[in-house]
Amino acid sequence: MNVSLNWLATHVDLKGKSPEELDRLLTFAGVEVEGIEVKGVVSDKIVVAQIMEAVQHPNADKLKVTKVDAGEGTLRQIVCGAKNYKVGDKVPCCLPGANLGSFTIGETTMRGVESKGMLAAASEIGLVDAEDGLMILPANAPIGKPVKELFHGDVLLEVEVTPNRPDLLSHYGMAREMATLLEVPLAPLEIPERHGLTGKGVKIEASDACPFYTAVRISGVKIAPSPAWLQERLESIGLRPINNVVDITNFVLHEIGQPLHAFDAAKVSGALVIRAANAGEQFLALDGQTYPLLEEDCVISDESGSALALGGVMGGADSGVTDGTTEILLESAYFTPSRIRRTSRRTALSSDSSYRFERGVNPDNVLAGSALAVKLITEIAGGTAEEVTMKAGEEPVLTQSVTLDTTKLDQLTGGSIPHHEATTILKRLGLSLSSNGSWYVPPFRADLQRHIDLVEEIVRVKGLDAVPSRLRGTFVPSSSVDAAYDADMRIRERLAALGFHECQTIKLISDAQVGDALPLKPLLPGDTIRVSLPLSEDHAVMRPSIVPGLVASAARNVRQGTKALRLFEIGRVFRNAGGGKAKDLEADSLAILLSGPALPTGWARPEAAADLYDLKAIIAALVPTAAVQLVPRQRDGFALGCDIQAGGQNLGTFAMLLPSRQRELDAEGPIFVAELDLPKLRKFVAGSKDIADLPQFPGSSRDVALEAPAALANTELEKVLAKVKEPLLTGFECFDVFRDETGAKLAADRKSIAYRMHYRAPDRTLKTEEIDAAHKVVVEALTSGLKLTQR
Amino acid sequence: MKDQIEAIQAEALARIEAAADARALEDARVAVLGKKGTLTEVSAGMRDVPKEDKAAVGALLNTARSAITAALETKQLALQDAADKKALEGIDLTLPARALHHGSLHPLTILRHQAISILRRMGFALAEGPEIEDEFHCFDALNTPADHPARNEKDTFYFDSGKLLRTHTSSVQVRTMESQVPPVRIIAPGSAYRRDEIDATHLSVFNQLEGLYVDTDVSLGDLKGTLEYFFQEMFGSSTEVRFRPHFFPFTEPSFEIDVKLHVKGQAPRWVEVAGCGMVDPAVFEQINGSRKDGAYDPEKVTGFAFGMGLDRLAMIRWGLKDIRLLIENDARFLKQFA
Repeated sequence: MNVSLNWLATHVDLKGKSPEELDRLLTFAGVEVEGIEVKGVVSDKIVVAQIMEAVQHPNADKLKVTKVDAGEGTLRQIVCGAKNYKVGDKVPCCLPGANLGSFTIGETTMRGVESKGMLAAASEIGLVDAEDGLMILPANAPIGKPVKELFHGDVLLEVEVTPNRPDLLSHYGMAREMATLLEVPLAPLEIPERHGLTGKGVKIEASDACPFYTAVRISGVKIAPSPAWLQERLESIGLRPINNVVDITNFVLHEIGQPLHAFDAAKVSGALVIRAANAGEQFLALDGQTYPLLEEDCVISDESGSALALGGVMGGADSGVTDGTTEILLESAYFTPSRIRRTSRRTALSSDSSYRFERGVNPDNVLAGSALAVKLITEIAGGTAEEVTMKAGEEPVLTQSVTLDTTKLDQLTGGSIPHHEATTILKRLGLSLSSNGSWYVPPFRADLQRHIDLVEEIVRVKGLDAVPSRLRGTFVPSSSVDAAYDADMRIRERLAALGFHECQTIKLISDAQVGDALPLKPLLPGDTIRVSLPLSEDHAVMRPSIVPGLVASAARNVRQGTKALRLFEIGRVFRNAGGGKAKDLEADSLAILLSGPALPTGWARPEAAADLYDLKAIIAALVPTAAVQLVPRQRDGFALGCDIQAGGQNLGTFAMLLPSRQRELDAEGPIFVAELDLPKLRKFVAGSKDIADLPQFPGSSRDVALEAPAALANTELEKVLAKVKEPLLTGFECFDVFRDETGAKLAADRKSIAYRMHYRAPDRTLKTEEIDAAHKVVVEALTSGLKLTQR
Repeated sequence: MKDQIEAIQAEALARIEAAADARALEDARVAVLGKKGTLTEVSAGMRDVPKEDKAAVGALLNTARSAITAALETKQLALQDAADKKALEGIDLTLPARALHHGSLHPLTILRHQAISILRRMGFALAEGPEIEDEFHCFDALNTPADHPARNEKDTFYFDSGKLLRTHTSSVQVRTMESQVPPVRIIAPGSAYRRDEIDATHLSVFNQLEGLYVDTDVSLGDLKGTLEYFFQEMFGSSTEVRFRPHFFPFTEPSFEIDVKLHVKGQAPRWVEVAGCGMVDPAVFEQINGSRKDGAYDPEKVTGFAFGMGLDRLAMIRWGLKDIRLLIENDARFLKQFA
């Protein structure tokens, strides 16, 4: 909302208050000041000067050298580029030292000619340009007089009023607040008295949407442009003057906050009827648009049944005041906030009126606003108002007495606000103490309904600075969320240490991206969750997996020329299960994406692309206490799909992007991805609880090389080794796998696998014979169990 | 013989001195002290030395042996020294490193972790709740009127089921109070959603951090002390913090918090960093309604709540001009946080 300080000054004395002080005052009263605009001439050094001479500049075609009389006794030489003046004109002259906001005028030399000041256009001194070039002042403007004395400057505050304070949505309301805060008097609002009400002429059929409606008939008005003062008022807050009647309704709205509407009485047949709209009714508003209405909307119609206005929101195209209007019906009413809000939102139709009605206007202002406007209209547009005001319904009572509980006030403020000060503040706000100790709340403060609302006002006006800070708090136990968070941080830090960048991708993805999803359990139709009204199809589905986001991030980085794609993200994933049987499941997940060089290449290291064993190693680093197994399981849309198993459970899913998908992304090498079940993973990073004693006796190792069919999965060997009944075998590792595609050293369909076996006894140093015997058992288990030959 | 010993000693010392490497030194040792070495052979001649000379010749031999052994050791150390030095000669320390991949935590993680660490130091425990919420937990229980603008489907993502994506993490306050009795002292970091077009200053999915403290005597002073301490820990101990009265449906009184931001080359300015307030008694009434045990009787308990946008704090902290940097995951951006 725009607030003019000149306008405010008609209600409250703001002399000596700088815009910055008022900004601070309002800010700490809970009114956000979003902008301050100083309009008009501010500098004393801009004075009326008469141009006495203007000759061509000797060195510049487009400049003239003028001599002006600025009332200093001698003429002042100023170089000027404007063309719109003639010698003898009076113009604003900025003397050296005049501050024009962004710069200060000085004495200078222009193309070799001295120039002692500047002749100004209107826009250069904060006024509105009426012509192209210098501002030509009236011929009777006294020479030497500061221009600011001829033109009123103003300061415009752009404020944001919170929804609980509709009483501030007018200049009088804002003035009242400032008077309270500054502890200065507020000029009483002079509302002309009107006598008599009649129930004739208006009829309410929709009292839930409009409980109180009034109208005044004014005949013989002459529609014309508004007087200058009224136009200036409206223009000062950025409104365009239209005609005297409409301008007066706008003025009253911004003066006291009561929206009004003027109908052309000639277009109204019979009484005004306030009714619910008919379903399917079409309403042509004065913005030229047609709006389909519902029964929840409230319209102002007449006895012919046609809708003249959308109640509280906007007038109709055909019922408003025009140049030919001679008789008007002036509406002033109270509309129910929730109803106006609903209509305004649904139709996307918003006006200064609906803005105020949906926040709640002061019911007392219905008659006051009407009376004020009637007086102004008859004064300015002429005509005669009917003595009685037409009225339907009753003025709603929205406020009640509220008791301030001082014990609770003391508890909340730590006793820092003395009770007498609290009382003073409430009184300054317009409340009054009744004999039973409760507070009477004025009708313009319907937001003050409870004890705590009074506390809020006291603290707001007093300021939180008055309440001393307290540094203390209750001890509470940590939660399971704490434990999960700590585990996640360990996982994050470990992955960062392993050279991965943590990402954050958007949780709303497109249908197409769902194709990149790698959830722990495959998605059935009905398992994805779609928002009803997405902003765009790119962000329409809740991600069932983090992999699509990482793939999109990888693609972006590929486009930027990044070679090493090492990304991970921890966060929530969302899905239904069983084709939509179980709904809205949320789970925490970790996804990792790897592509590009395994290690950075350079002078000391040749290029080697990361492959699936690198990503397997990363996963193993997250699960240090258990062996990681990749168990193949076909995944649609991926190659090398595997379940990730460790410690006897499924930890997640592993796959490579299909080469065709990789080419779509313009990636040079294969892209590996994994998605892990975070709650399961957290258990592995919690650290081991059982710490083994260190062995007391040395161990030994023996190597074995085995020849096997090339297709034999290595896990088959490890399964045998895991089961072999040889108590001295304490560990093993695969240290070589050899194949020869040419068949020269080994048949092409065979491979050689070399393992190192570790033997140790807990209670003695093993003898050679014992080791040999144990090794024989192990090797035989492998060769006989899997039909391998020892090489 | 005396002369012979002295000659052997002199020759041996000279040869040792001249040895250019370990091999030559070993040859010299064998030539003098080996089984057939010159000094060994002379020593064997001791048998023939007259008894009265034995002591003198013996002493001479010992002197020669000691001198040669000492020279050998000295020379060996010198050669080793020279070899060690040579091994390190010509190493170009200025060649680039054999690089490793450097990873990074996301800036939001860094910021969130800092915030959580500070709040945990003050005794807050973590809490969480679902992001797909119902209207009760997101709005009704938080005293948000049925026709509040935030509940409009143009501003909030709804699902056909009637559920919605939570518009703030404040729903976790409700969830926590439903399941725990006071005292409650929790923080809840998490995502929130608003139906905003994504641009340089808006994300439709953003990150918040919520806090709630409910006990028998929680006051405005606690709210102020806690949040002043928090922002001074976040932005530096001399950071100015101010509380501006504001309005939220679920707190009364409510405030917005500004900190004074000092950026080199810019005039200091106040920036909004959080919203906060004392829990509105109407919220406690709602909780009691769903708990049915009166554990949050507004006559007995009070509390404060606060919420802040972490994306915004990240923009302030690192002077980011475009919030989308936080979701684009450009490695050139992320590696700056390594």
